[in-house]
Amino acid sequence: MNGWILAAAVVIAAGLGTSLWGVSTGPLKRRVVAQNLSNAIVCPGLLLLAQGYGRTSYVDLALILALLGPVGTLVFARLLAGELADDPPSARVPTWTVAAVGAAVVLVLCAVTGPGRAMVKLLVVGALVVGGNLIASRALSHGFPGVDRG
Amino acid sequence: MADAVVVIALLLVAGAATAAVVNRDPVRQALVLSVLGTALAVLFTVDQAPDVGLSQLAVGSALTPLLIMLAVRKVRRRPAESGEDGEK
Repeated sequence: MNGWILAAAVVIAAGLGTSLWGVSTGPLKRRVVAQNLSNAIVCPGLLLLAQGYGRTSYVDLALILALLGPVGTLVFARLLAGELADDPPSARVPTWTVAAVGAAVVLVLCAVTGPGRAMVKLLVVGALVVGGNLIASRALSHGFPGVDRG
Repeated sequence: MADAVVVIALLLVAGAATAAVVNRDPVRQALVLSVLGTALAVLFTVDQAPDVGLSQLAVGSALTPLLIMLAVRKVRRRPAESGEDGEK
């Protein structure tokens, strides 16, 4: 229908497809990283869908995902701490790539929306996505201080 | 093009659900299930049902993995506590 939905389709197909492949094969450390990045890449996709459908209320979906996605990853990081401590996952390049995609999508949407209340909401969502993604990745690779056995 | 997004979301949901069944370890199934929840939320959104997608996100992204992981921990810890056939 329009370019926004096309962009959302590309982001969701590439991001979610890659993370689905990563989460269903390979060692456990790759799976938790893929689960974390799936949340962080779907969030910009939902923002693009909201813009494409022209309904600002759809931004709530991305907001909820940006809030609860890192919580789910932290659950895994906490409860799998014993198994991840031996061989901690580190995925610096994919993490920063996903964070850059999220930031770029939010900035483009802000430029289109223009100043106002909707732009503030978009910026909040973007900060939550990037910040939550980085915090969850850090928790996965460094564990929780003081917790050595989940 | 709107149909193309629906087809992509459907394919992702089918792939994630198949992967969740094919994996045999409960911990890995919980991880795939979390991605499946996200894919389902996308499917509901592109089908213009964002309210269903919201509840799916709220339940599927944090609550379901937490319940499964807690249950797995409880089940695995029990043999070690009662002293039979060691730690798993």
